Amino acid sequence: MPNAILDPTGGASPVAAPFAPAPRKHDLAGARIGLLENTKQNAALLLDEVGKLLVAEHGAAAVTLVRTKTAFALPASDELVAEYAGECDVVITGVGDCGSCSASAAADGVAFERAGLPAAVICSDAFVATADAMAALRGAPGYRYLTTPHPVAILTPDQVRERAAQLAGEVAGLLTGSGA
Amino acid sequence: MSELDPDLAQAAVEHCYDQGWSDGLPLVPASQPLVDRFLATTSRPPDEVIGRLAQVDREVTVELAAINAAMAGCRPEYFPVVLAAWDALMRERATTGGGWQSTSGPAPLIVVNGPVRDELGFNKAGGVFGPGFRANATVPRAIGLIVRNALGIHPHVFEQATQGLPGRWSICVAENEEESPWEPLSVEAGLPAGTSAVAATLLRTSEFVDNRHTSDAEQLLADLADTISRTGAWIFRHASAGIVFCPEHAQLLAGAGFDRAKVRSWLAERCGRTVGDLADVGKDGLGDNGVRHASGERPDGFDRLLPADDPKHLLIAVAGARNAGISMVVRLFSDWSATAVPVETKELA
Repeated sequence: MPNAILDPTGGASPVAAPFAPAPRKHDLAGARIGLLENTKQNAALLLDEVGKLLVAEHGAAAVTLVRTKTAFALPASDELVAEYAGECDVVITGVGDCGSCSASAAADGVAFERAGLPAAVICSDAFVATADAMAALRGAPGYRYLTTPHPVAILTPDQVRERAAQLAGEVAGLLTGSGA
Repeated sequence: MSELDPDLAQAAVEHCYDQGWSDGLPLVPASQPLVDRFLATTSRPPDEVIGRLAQVDREVTVELAAINAAMAGCRPEYFPVVLAAWDALMRERATTGGGWQSTSGPAPLIVVNGPVRDELGFNKAGGVFGPGFRANATVPRAIGLIVRNALGIHPHVFEQATQGLPGRWSICVAENEEESPWEPLSVEAGLPAGTSAVAATLLRTSEFVDNRHTSDAEQLLADLADTISRTGAWIFRHASAGIVFCPEHAQLLAGAGFDRAKVRSWLAERCGRTVGDLADVGKDGLGDNGVRHASGERPDGFDRLLPADDPKHLLIAVAGARNAGISMVVRLFSDWSATAVPVETKELA
């Protein structure tokens, strides 16, 4: 019997707990919106504009919590997820437009959903591979998030507002009844 | 050596490709007896965790590092250098902060000091950034395989390099202490002289400065400053750099009274661009998030590239042949820990 060829990977990753999206309400009437921006250029403005549109056009009550991630490459802490779950009814996060932050944005979306909070993750469309891979790693293969055309960082403020207008309806859809 | 069976070897190599373990080049299939020889070079237990990447929930043990080092083509006695290089990289903010996943596709720069250089055959002289030396080629390759296999960071999935850096997983230089006018890098980093040690950081890019034109130290430094001050790799408020000096340049500078600290302060003061230059390339704006952007609204002035004149922001080493005035400028992915990790020397039983 020859020696076995050793596996350099350490074997399969631990299997994550089964995933189900957070329950959705029929609409956003009276919903408290949370925004978690990841410091990427134009992310804060894009989320801010989407939040305004959900209030103005989709019946949401107000944007009640806005935070900036301290490390865009890393998933949000349990404490931060709990804070959003306590103070909001839905959350929007992004923009995943780099290798590490697209993955962590998807991880954050899955974590919010597991905490019972409907989440809309926004990624640049150049990073679906890494976002999908991270969602699968977190036990949520096929997790639904929103994409916006790459690049986002070089857009002017007016162009960012245009993007927000394009996204707002999709965000509302993903955060309510039929979306998840 | 007729007892060696190339057909069996080829089948084993193909098996490793089929498993998705390879960086594209053939791997040495690792067996337990081979990996045991690696593990025998260190007193650290095989199950010791030497790195964890929280975002992907994966960790690296001494044993996994040994398997990957064996596959990379390292000799067992290189393994303490691989461990020191890995530990040095784990001290870099970027390696746990998303650097392995980055669009920049950063390359580790590994610098080896001390007796281990000659004991293991690390090249410190001609072609030090190039191929031809097993130790220099396989130690950084081992790091790359650890990232790929133990951490699960694969190209096109979690590894999102837009183009990547030529030389990723192949940049490992021994310092040419014998022809350097300055103390070894490891000594500047705080270790006793004569210690075998490894320093490491991540690079965005590299570009050589060929100056065989002047004997004036300040003209030479100005040539280096010009390359360090390029806008292309400058994306945040400040940037950090490194210079791997050839012996000729280092000796010219030392002859004019420059030690490492004086080189740094000279360059820190002069490396940078006018706000106008930065506006021309859309990088003059300074936002709260530290990322430069196109603004066009700042008054003219001079933006220094280096945040300070300390080793964290300007790594200085000496390597290469003494046959020409060609030094390598590198741009760091973030900054450098400014430390070096001693190489464990375990007496083999």
